[in-house]
Amino acid sequence: MTWSQSMARRIGTMLVVLAVGGAVVHGQAPADLETKEEQAFKAAAVNVAPSVVRIQTVGGLDRVGRTLTGTGATTGLVVSADGFVISSAFNFISKPASVLVTLADGRRFPAKIVANDRARMLTLLKIAADGLSTVSPVPRKNFRVGQWAIALGRTYDSPLPNLSVGILSALDRVWGRAVQTDAKISPANYGGPLVDIQGRVIGVLVPLSQRQSGQTAGVEWYDSGIGFAIPMVDILSTLPRLKTGEDLLPGLMGITLKRGDVYAVAAVIDRVRFNSPAEKSGMKPGDVIASIDGREISRLVQVRHALGNKYAGETIKVVVRRGDKKVDQQIQLVGKLEPYAPAYLGILPRRRLVGDKTVGVTVRGILPESPASQAKLLPGDRVVRVDGTAVADVAGLLDIISRHRIGETVKVQVERREARQTLTATLSGIPPTVPAIIESAIIAAPEPKPANLPGTGRISEDLAGHNHNFWAYVPETYNPAHGYGLVVWIHPGGDTMEADIHDLWKPICEERGLILVGPRAKKVSGWNLGEAGFVEALVQEMQKRYRIDGRRIVLHSYSDGARFGYHLAFRYRSLFRGVAVSSEPLRLSPPENRPELRLQFFLSCGDKDNLFGLVQKSRARLETMKYPVTLTPVAGDGHNYPPVPVIDAMGRWIDLLDRI
Amino acid sequence: MRVGILVLFGLALLELTGPGAAVAQSIHSTIQRVQSRMVKVFGAGGIRRLHAYSTGFLVSPTGHVATVWSHVLDTDELTVVLADGRRISAKVLGAEPQLDLAVLQLKADGLELPAWNLASDSGDAGPGTRVLGFSNMFKVATGDEKVSVLHGVVATKAPLATRRGSFETAYEGTAFIVDAVTNNPGAGGGVLTTRGGRLLGMIGKELRNAETNTWVNYAVPISEIRKPIEEIIAGRYRARQREPEGVDEVARFRPLDFGLVLVPDVLFRTPAFVDRVQPGSAAARAGLQPDDLVLFVNGDLIQSCRVLKQRLGRLEAGGVLKMTVRRGDRLVPAELPVPAKSSTPSGEKSR
Repeated sequence: MTWSQSMARRIGTMLVVLAVGGAVVHGQAPADLETKEEQAFKAAAVNVAPSVVRIQTVGGLDRVGRTLTGTGATTGLVVSADGFVISSAFNFISKPASVLVTLADGRRFPAKIVANDRARMLTLLKIAADGLSTVSPVPRKNFRVGQWAIALGRTYDSPLPNLSVGILSALDRVWGRAVQTDAKISPANYGGPLVDIQGRVIGVLVPLSQRQSGQTAGVEWYDSGIGFAIPMVDILSTLPRLKTGEDLLPGLMGITLKRGDVYAVAAVIDRVRFNSPAEKSGMKPGDVIASIDGREISRLVQVRHALGNKYAGETIKVVVRRGDKKVDQQIQLVGKLEPYAPAYLGILPRRRLVGDKTVGVTVRGILPESPASQAKLLPGDRVVRVDGTAVADVAGLLDIISRHRIGETVKVQVERREARQTLTATLSGIPPTVPAIIESAIIAAPEPKPANLPGTGRISEDLAGHNHNFWAYVPETYNPAHGYGLVVWIHPGGDTMEADIHDLWKPICEERGLILVGPRAKKVSGWNLGEAGFVEALVQEMQKRYRIDGRRIVLHSYSDGARFGYHLAFRYRSLFRGVAVSSEPLRLSPPENRPELRLQFFLSCGDKDNLFGLVQKSRARLETMKYPVTLTPVAGDGHNYPPVPVIDAMGRWIDLLDRI
Repeated sequence: MRVGILVLFGLALLELTGPGAAVAQSIHSTIQRVQSRMVKVFGAGGIRRLHAYSTGFLVSPTGHVATVWSHVLDTDELTVVLADGRRISAKVLGAEPQLDLAVLQLKADGLELPAWNLASDSGDAGPGTRVLGFSNMFKVATGDEKVSVLHGVVATKAPLATRRGSFETAYEGTAFIVDAVTNNPGAGGGVLTTRGGRLLGMIGKELRNAETNTWVNYAVPISEIRKPIEEIIAGRYRARQREPEGVDEVARFRPLDFGLVLVPDVLFRTPAFVDRVQPGSAAARAGLQPDDLVLFVNGDLIQSCRVLKQRLGRLEAGGVLKMTVRRGDRLVPAELPVPAKSSTPSGEKSR
């Protein structure tokens, strides 16, 4: 034991004695107790200081998603004398070219990233040093909500670590992964230790979020009084696996549960992903999860708690209720699932007018060379059943088809001239091409013109409640009996391109039943990711004013405007159904393709544009994730907004967004 | 290693035997005493989300108020509200923009106000010292009420600008950084004290750390602003000469002056890898090799080609350039003589 450790322990004992001596209310403690507490904070910090290291990175990305990556020093904690250092994965999201560790005594070492724990968002580093000071962990049974918790970092230019004092606010947070503290947790101490008053380590500080996962989740909560630390005892138990260089991934079963209030509804399986551990073990949609590893499950939220601490490779015992039976299953979790690939029938459904209550889906068009055309479905047919399940409307048909795999056969019952017949179609994937002709369904002006029609033609105004303005084009023939597609134009930095976009898109809007809206960035020079909320609010405002078809809301952008465009598309998954981007590659990692949140892509780029290669790679990336994507090269063109034929194709593609 | 701990711990103890431990005073009397010396400042602003209020503290019984230099003072209609609710007009007596400091003079005669004696009332603190922050934050203290109090600990006492441009502030010296959210709209010009009521520093403006993209809560130590305050009151203060702007833009040296050719700078943060070393150059003599990654120049971390070019651009002629490069898994030091003449004609530096 070092001298400082024995000192810390003495102070700890002293505090206990003092606390027993008289009931002390925090905040009104006698001055001498306050002084001694303060002394103990400092001693605790000094006690672990030799194991708290400074981490600096060189090179790497300047932003990840909507988070600017920091360039400042961050913190790590020595976890073994032979040079292993644990830190927050957040500190390395920029994928730096080089990582440097500076020990408390000032020695500097280049560090190697050994492995990541992607469930707890930790990164293990190795430096070529030996004989380092390590820390002692607080055993889990000694965690007490309300105990002092001191957060340490080494981000400032000072011999002592920077510290923040709080208490342990809760245990078993973020699906059992972390403890919570009200000490101020931020990039100033991510990766540093949370220590108790004796200088023992409770855990390692990381940003986490209850709602989201991902490398930047939880950062927005910095300094809020809600901070998280991964218990040191858990880190030490997974350390041997990390040391071998193995990345630890959160364990996945491959099921989605029926939506609802997670605290109220039972865990009913809605979908079972193809080729997933759940499918292989025989789980079926409609099964109700009754227990996981012996823990009883009665509500949806408990499933997440039970799985929160499981890694890929671990085996869990799941009991499901199927009808009256209980079925036991052993499931070995995986880290990655095969992406969801949407199946496709090849019909364009007729869009309904207000008040149309027809049951089934009437076919507006059959797409060429599609399963539907091979099965000889015809325009005007009304699809009433698929495989014996009644089809109520477009959403119902889409849901049925989305539950099938590509290559599967479905029996489609249609009503044709009052007679019913059943056709057999073998489903394919959504083709990457846009047919040369999609007959437009030109919407006629309402007759007679109703009173109180919202504004039509070219509009330019401020969005109430937001410090922003926008422009829009609404066809003069706007007819509120029809649903309109919405094209959200995200202009590039430096130029709103308003006049050009208006002139080019006006005929397309009229031909395809679209409304065009152009939010204007606060500074024309470029979009700030903080403006995403404004665009969301603007779309919602348009939905309030006009009858917008939720299946055809599209983000369209050109050049660097698309960085913001992609960001919006991935952030507001439930709002946008299509992304049409010209002359800009995808620089974000797209989220998983999800059947209930359909998203389709239309890319175009001049083949003489320097970015063309990257745009082709973007298409490949989206295809790997099984998103429907179309790339239209513009022969001989450089970095320019696409010519009329491409915009026409874009219009047809938007008209196709509700294809099934 | 163990010696290091002893020294550090010794430091921590030394701080404890300072004013904080000596003044055994209940937190209530501390707060009363401090609040009586605090004022609220109302001035320009109120549009474009700029607040029209800030905080100040009395530094003389006759009505001198130290506060933060900001847009709030940019008006002829300054009003100061004392702790007892009195409203008095004030004027700016003097300012030091580089310290974000201004001193106001209340326009009233015969005042005898409770005030800080900067020489005898101030103290010092290190990481872990418990502190109180007093300010007119968010203007929650409307009307005659006293300013708000927050509590926390000193996170660290460290230079605010470890490197140029990492903080968006004029102030670049050592600051108390605290773990309480002290720096809010209107909080600038408030004070940070120990729980015993020792004056530690003046709360600064809202400030973003450009290195971590987070807000920083800090106070400028009284030791840094005491002299300017006293001199402004005495009427003999002369604002510091600011370095003429634009000097930084002139690159005195380029990598090539040392015989270094870097990899093409294509990304925002292209790491400063050496592409080629010119034979016979200073870099070659120092043993630098292609594929070395330049990590430190004179102790400063080099995060990209861009940063390396900036650092070299600011070097003084003559002397030695200390460099650390990463070669494989090793850190290798190198020393290169800086040429006596800069590569840019000196005429470009004049304004």
